[in-house]
Amino acid sequence: MSETPSPTTTCPSCGAAAPTGAKFCESCGTPLGGDAGPVAAAPAATEASPIDDLGSGPISAPTHRNLAAPAADAGPRPCLVCQGTVGADGYCETCGAKAPTERDHFRGTPAPWVAGVCDRGIVHHRNEDAMALLASDAPGERAVLVVLDGVSNSIDSDVASLAGAKAALEALRAPFPRGMGTPASRSSAVTQALGAAAAAANAAVVSVTDPASTNPASATFVVVVVEQGLLAYANIGDSRAYWLPDGGPAVQLTVDDSAAQQQMEAGVPREVAETSPQAHAITKWLGRDAPDIAPRTGQLEVAGPGWLLVCSDGLWNYASEPEALAAQVAAAGTAVPLDLALALIAFANAQGGRDNITAAVARIEPAATVPDPGQNASEPALDHQEESDG
Amino acid sequence: MAEFTASVYQNEFLPDGGTDVNAIITVTCSGAGTAGQTGGGAAGEIIIVDTSGSMGPETMQAARSAAQAALAEIVDGTWFAVISGSDHAELAYPPVASGPGLARMDATSRAQASEAIGRFTGAGGTAISTWLDLAGTVFASVPEVTQRHAILLTDGENRERPGALDAAIARATGYFQCDCRGAGTDWVVEEVRRISQALLGTVDIIPEPAQMQAQFQEMMRASMARGVSDVQLRVWAPQGAQILFVRQVAPSVEDLTDRRVEVNPLTGGYPTGAWADESRDYHVGVRVAAKAIGQEQLAARVQLAIGADVVAQGLVKATWSGNSELTARIDQQVAHYTGQTELAAMIQEGLAAKASGDTATATTKLGRAVQLAAETGNDEATSKLRKVVDIDDEKEGTVRLKAAVAKADEMALDTASTKTTRIKK
Repeated sequence: MSETPSPTTTCPSCGAAAPTGAKFCESCGTPLGGDAGPVAAAPAATEASPIDDLGSGPISAPTHRNLAAPAADAGPRPCLVCQGTVGADGYCETCGAKAPTERDHFRGTPAPWVAGVCDRGIVHHRNEDAMALLASDAPGERAVLVVLDGVSNSIDSDVASLAGAKAALEALRAPFPRGMGTPASRSSAVTQALGAAAAAANAAVVSVTDPASTNPASATFVVVVVEQGLLAYANIGDSRAYWLPDGGPAVQLTVDDSAAQQQMEAGVPREVAETSPQAHAITKWLGRDAPDIAPRTGQLEVAGPGWLLVCSDGLWNYASEPEALAAQVAAAGTAVPLDLALALIAFANAQGGRDNITAAVARIEPAATVPDPGQNASEPALDHQEESDG
Repeated sequence: MAEFTASVYQNEFLPDGGTDVNAIITVTCSGAGTAGQTGGGAAGEIIIVDTSGSMGPETMQAARSAAQAALAEIVDGTWFAVISGSDHAELAYPPVASGPGLARMDATSRAQASEAIGRFTGAGGTAISTWLDLAGTVFASVPEVTQRHAILLTDGENRERPGALDAAIARATGYFQCDCRGAGTDWVVEEVRRISQALLGTVDIIPEPAQMQAQFQEMMRASMARGVSDVQLRVWAPQGAQILFVRQVAPSVEDLTDRRVEVNPLTGGYPTGAWADESRDYHVGVRVAAKAIGQEQLAARVQLAIGADVVAQGLVKATWSGNSELTARIDQQVAHYTGQTELAAMIQEGLAAKASGDTATATTKLGRAVQLAAETGNDEATSKLRKVVDIDDEKEGTVRLKAAVAKADEMALDTASTKTTRIKK
């Protein structure tokens, strides 16, 4: 951003002038820094199109480009508390609630079966978590859920985390390559794609970092790609993915890169390790000073219905055990993904909201949607589905 | 073009479970121009002079000169009239029996009106309701006059059946503004203050006839400087919140709470009359439902509106905090004006108790007034209190009622009770 020559920039949402380097539009709150410049410059974005061309396998590429960041032309959105009109002064005209900026609270529902909420929480003054989502219209067909948690003691980590999340999403927009068609080669192709997404996210984070910064922006990283019954996941740091099948047992898919995890591996009980003073010290991260950006990866074939949850520590701090999170999901008592994500955010805020909170969820119903992998006959049906939804 | 600005003084931090938000909103108007000359409608002025039999020759002469001096302050082109009041009201100028009851000010009409005033003599009783009603009728006879102001001089107690005056005040409220002055000491402060408060004006005592002319000039000059008419204070509060009170606290204390008219279900409008280049302070108290620590919300939008146009806005906020250093602070302005409001009440209640012979209550209340006047730096109140009580200890508020008090001093203390001082910065 520092190389931008013009003294002012224009908000793409409302047209107001903003000083160069401004992170958000003073008029409408639309993120500026994390959006236009850095993401366009991220290498992953420019590489996306050749990959798209190769994505002509049995699964059609998603035609909708619903990113998690809200559409710029949406205008002032209604009050998050009471749905009232938000005044020009930034407060609801009915209940008086302060409307958070788009960066401090945003939601995404790329398809009816996938949704996420990224929220500042209560204690922190800005939202350094970031989230990016995409999903096919057909339930269970394909989705990508990315969550990054900017490290709060590094500079501009809010800008960096959003750039990184969007770059990772772009890198995973095309379906996984099939490899040589054998399970082993497909698995390694998936692992490679996840590693490329982490590299793309890292490149985006670095690209928005001031080269002179003595405390460069850094962030955690977690992504889950849903493809039919497959959950492919990767993470760096302590943001997590959980698989919460209906009827249990719930599992934590990812393994943290954290001091707490090291202690747990050495035999310290989870509740002790995760509440120790160093619990939140992460041992790996994205950013210019990252020691190692190869993510831990894994894959899980799921057979039954359940919820996939991808979240930052702002949520799991209050319910770390998979069963504790499953209990919160059950308590939310909703089958609507956005309502569930909102309920999880509300739960964390009710517990104190001491950190930024992101919760992205996908409803998986494999039995209903898994087609026979050997047949291409499902293609017309999928096309039809897209048309009817579009 | 007049410009309004609003600034808010408050401590927005509430403790866990806290519900009550207090704020002082300072509204400043600049570029007000001259009454009736800013395109917002024509201005009308009516001078009402008590011509009852109680007006002695010296007071009557002073009143004539004062009314004539006031005429000289009315800007040419302004609509005006002169009313003489006793047990009934008469339109002394213009000399018409029907049609428009206001004349345009110019050299000729000024001379004619001055001559009519010169013929005033004292006779008859005092029925102030008839004076107010005639003023209303006269204003109504010229529809293009939208900024209506009167000055009223009386020297005696109103002699009418109970309720007649209040009914007339109610008819005039919201229609014209009225500054009131009492000559000598035979009039009743509480009675005349009812008129001036309802009609968005001032009240004061003119103890000596010699001071009358200057007072009239000043009142009329002030009125002619009010180039912005019919300004409304608006207070929005969130759904479910309760507006505890809305008060003007500077330059004087006026409780506006009960004057609310609904603008919309969440917004109340309160009349503030016409504005000159000046600054007024308002104290707003709102009760909102408590939220979680760390939450922020808007407790009130305080706006100034001319017609339907909002010309200035101040935001009153509430943020719940667990930090007692933040939540325990009381805003200096809020504390100051809370004290000044209590000071006004203590003076009025103390004098009322004294008048009814309740020495103990009077001593306590006036003692508290002395203490508050000292705390809030209201030197005018302190010096006026000194003429009514002997002060033993200003800080503790221990006083003794003076054995002999000039009636005029007591009335001066009473009329000035609502005047406030601004915080010393």
